[in-house]
Amino acid sequence: MRDSDATAHATADERARRIETQLSRAGLGLVPRMGRRVSDRLFDRLLHLLTIRHPRAFTAFRAMPDACLLIEPVDTPMAFLLRVGPNLSLRALRRGAAAPGDVGGVTADAVVRGPYAQLLDLLEGRIDGDALFFRRELTIVGDTALILALRNTLDGEEMDLLADAMSFAGPLAHALPVLRRNAGSILDRLDAARRLLPSPLRRGLARVEARLSGLAPAPEA
Amino acid sequence: MDGFELICPAGTPAALRAAVDAGADAVYLGFRDETNARNFPGLNFTREDVAEAVAYAHARKVEVFVAINTYPQAGGLGPWRRAVDDAARLKVDAVILADLGLLDYAAGRHPDLRLHLSVQASAANADAIQLYREAFGVRRVVLPRVLTVPEIARLNAQVDVETEVFVFGGLCPMAEGRCSLSSYATGLSPNKQGVCSPASHVRYEPRGAALASTLGDFTINVFGADEPAGYPTLCKGRFVARDTPAYLFEEPTSLNAMDLLPDLKAAGVRALKIEGRQRGKAYIGAVVRAYREALDAFAAGRPVPRSADLQAMVEGGAQTTGAYKRAWR
Repeated sequence: MRDSDATAHATADERARRIETQLSRAGLGLVPRMGRRVSDRLFDRLLHLLTIRHPRAFTAFRAMPDACLLIEPVDTPMAFLLRVGPNLSLRALRRGAAAPGDVGGVTADAVVRGPYAQLLDLLEGRIDGDALFFRRELTIVGDTALILALRNTLDGEEMDLLADAMSFAGPLAHALPVLRRNAGSILDRLDAARRLLPSPLRRGLARVEARLSGLAPAPEA
Repeated sequence: MDGFELICPAGTPAALRAAVDAGADAVYLGFRDETNARNFPGLNFTREDVAEAVAYAHARKVEVFVAINTYPQAGGLGPWRRAVDDAARLKVDAVILADLGLLDYAAGRHPDLRLHLSVQASAANADAIQLYREAFGVRRVVLPRVLTVPEIARLNAQVDVETEVFVFGGLCPMAEGRCSLSSYATGLSPNKQGVCSPASHVRYEPRGAALASTLGDFTINVFGADEPAGYPTLCKGRFVARDTPAYLFEEPTSLNAMDLLPDLKAAGVRALKIEGRQRGKAYIGAVVRAYREALDAFAAGRPVPRSADLQAMVEGGAQTTGAYKRAWR
């Protein structure tokens, strides 16, 4: 199936989710340009928001023995280092910048690798981690008990990373549910309008959407 | 007889809500300790979680069963007895027990608490089941996954206890409650500590494009580049004998008895159980929804719909009807 066909055959909600995932992945690409200090503050803030929204899970993380999990989305330039225990922290770093198991001067006790979209779906409980593992879409290395404890604790939450991150963003936080609720019908209407466009323009729009939803490689910069 | 009851797993409060919302008739769960056979890190329910779970489920006319199905240690009965007492206090609908002493304690201390016999008791014949019925008032027995459908039918004809059978999920091919493979490899067992192949002893190691799984000092399997993976349990290990790697007991595969609904009905089975308290809420929601649709269709005499979602969920990417149709037995 061609990329544009795949986009056309997905439901409007699936396409909206893909685009949302892709936009957040693109946002990650900006992190290296922020500099270490800004990036650290940003992830401190995110962790703070998540702790407020999901106190049960993050209290459990702080109660765990000190350990580090490296989360590596294989299709992004960034990785994340989650440190659990009393000094709970979340840091972004360049993927592959350090030897496996040794990141930013910290030794990771375990590593989880997989495509960004699947890792995000896993975090939000939209997909089953064991099923991903059985299908070899997820790789885990190191302390299996640590990975299992984190996975089970997160799966016990109703997590929505974008909504959680925007929960204290005032009007934007209120706009998100409205945008999501209507994303399907907006995309449907755009489809209808697109069918009226001349063919070259229609194909161009399909390419842009496919690129945003991760179905086609982005052109070289 | 009424339709089948659909009994569904939950390892977290979110999974319980997923099971209830997807159409469970009852949800089974465990406390967050060694009193249940899925004592995995980050899994299970605090007492407060159970109180909330019971409120959520009962408001939607769904029952809650608590599995207290490991075997108490000599001199350390406290956690198991407290689990029974707390389950009764929290007004759960049944407790699922395996140990004779604990059954006796529950029957004597909480006469109104419904008792189910866990699959961990491995009660596979009519004499054993009748004994549990007469001695402790057990109302339902979860049958071990080693019986054929004709054996289940014969058994049901001889006992006046409801029977519950597994229809989907991880497939334990052993006499449950008596399997020592995990204990042999790690010193920890599902029967005492509530952990089969404890995560603390499991490692996955990439070997080029292959993936090796180890349990303690044993290599359980080496999965080729395109081969679906499975759990690191010894019973589904692939071992080399005379230079040939082969599965000794069972392949990495998952039970799915959806095709056997008419047979199980004719055999007199009362309840169908989905395995997977250790699985995520996405698995639980998808499997419960698929089985709810199947049971509703079956009860209405319509063709049972096939869910493509289930194939993507299963261990080893393979499904089986297990012992139910095992011709060689």
